[in-house]
Amino acid sequence: MQDRPDAAELLEAVEDFLRGQSAAASERWLRFQLLVAANTLGIVRREMLHEDHYTHEEWQRLDGLLGAQEPPAAHGAFAAALRTRDAELCARIARGDFDAPEAEARLFEHFWQTIEDKVRIANPAELTR
Amino acid sequence: MDALSDSAIVVEAVRQGLGEPETPVEGARLLAGGAMHDSWAADAAGPGGRHELVVRLSPPGRDDSAKTRVEFALLRTMHARGLLVPKPLYVGENVRGQTFMLMERVRGDSNPRQLLTAPAFKHARTVLVTQLAEQVAMIHRVSPQDAGSPLRVTGEDQDPVLAECDRLEVEYREVALNPHPVIIWAFRKVRRMAAGLAPRTGPLHVVHGDLRVGNLMYDEQGLTSILDWEGVHIGEAEDDLMWFCTRVWRFSRPDLPAGGLATREEWISAYERFSGRTIDRRRFALWEVLGNIRWALVTMRQSKQHIDGTVKSHELLAIGRRTPDTELEILRLLGAKGETHAGQA
Repeated sequence: MQDRPDAAELLEAVEDFLRGQSAAASERWLRFQLLVAANTLGIVRREMLHEDHYTHEEWQRLDGLLGAQEPPAAHGAFAAALRTRDAELCARIARGDFDAPEAEARLFEHFWQTIEDKVRIANPAELTR
Repeated sequence: MDALSDSAIVVEAVRQGLGEPETPVEGARLLAGGAMHDSWAADAAGPGGRHELVVRLSPPGRDDSAKTRVEFALLRTMHARGLLVPKPLYVGENVRGQTFMLMERVRGDSNPRQLLTAPAFKHARTVLVTQLAEQVAMIHRVSPQDAGSPLRVTGEDQDPVLAECDRLEVEYREVALNPHPVIIWAFRKVRRMAAGLAPRTGPLHVVHGDLRVGNLMYDEQGLTSILDWEGVHIGEAEDDLMWFCTRVWRFSRPDLPAGGLATREEWISAYERFSGRTIDRRRFALWEVLGNIRWALVTMRQSKQHIDGTVKSHELLAIGRRTPDTELEILRLLGAKGETHAGQA
């Protein structure tokens, strides 16, 4: 295990630095690029903190929609398997498996939770607008 | 980019466009905005008086010739009909082979955030939607034959809603970096709901194709010009009306769906008054879902440009993480039980 500072602390420090540089920049293009860079580090930081939790919940919801499946233990294999399940969900939607109102309602619940979790990481301000 | 040589290019473009190789050209400066082109302001100060101009340059190496000529022909048609558009003066290629268009400069600003918030534009905010509705009604009176050149058609052989679904599904397959079940579901949902729509009435017509607050010029009195006709095509009215309402173009006012300026109903009913048409609210609602899908695909495409190496930019790359914002809006619009929320407020 790495010593402190941990990755989130490092990212937050650089994020704050970039935000400060952005505020101080006199040129509009640079100000915007620095702000985007700071926000991007914020995305990475929040993802590191929350993504494991969110994706395991996503997996469980997909168990309900696609049938239960044991999640791979290794991180990379888990992420790949989740993508594959998303592709399977797309295929099942396209062939009409979720057209019936009850099935659609369950699908919609999954969508709402999944997308809200993604926004919580990528752009949390959107949820309070 | 070399700023000095760029302004020299602008000076040459003005002289070429006016057909006055010796005329003095002053004050060349890059204008803000414009994702596809660089637009420059410049003033020609010849013996015949002062000309306030805009030179819109296509990026070097991009073959924009045919597309820009279509837009130029369309602008001439619109200007001749008294629409609020910049008067087009010349289209051609400069010595470096770059396509450019020369236009008269229109007074006003185009910064949407300023329009939606600055105290100086309080009056403009109250009148702009009505002014724009009148203009859009005029645009939609232009028949395909009167457009000045052949344009792409959305809905020639089938309902335009379904034609737009087809078009966007092709684009989705091209730009999606990973599966997006929400988008797949939205396509299917829109197609199923479209089956229940009343058939559209009346012939297809010219639509602007990128009608949003960022493409409007305004001053304290309201609308001064409608810009960026690159997306112009033949289609139905809802195509333009809904794009003005997609969430991304509301900026700081998500509570006012019509461009951050008005409710959907205020916008649509103003359009109905000027056009004499009736807008089917259910058809509009499906178009608004498609508009948000269209924006979601833009966010994917921008990310893909960096990943492909077409344009290296951390900014473009990060826009890929804005896709869920738009997917959330699609879910809001399509609602839990298949009841759409679009058309409300």
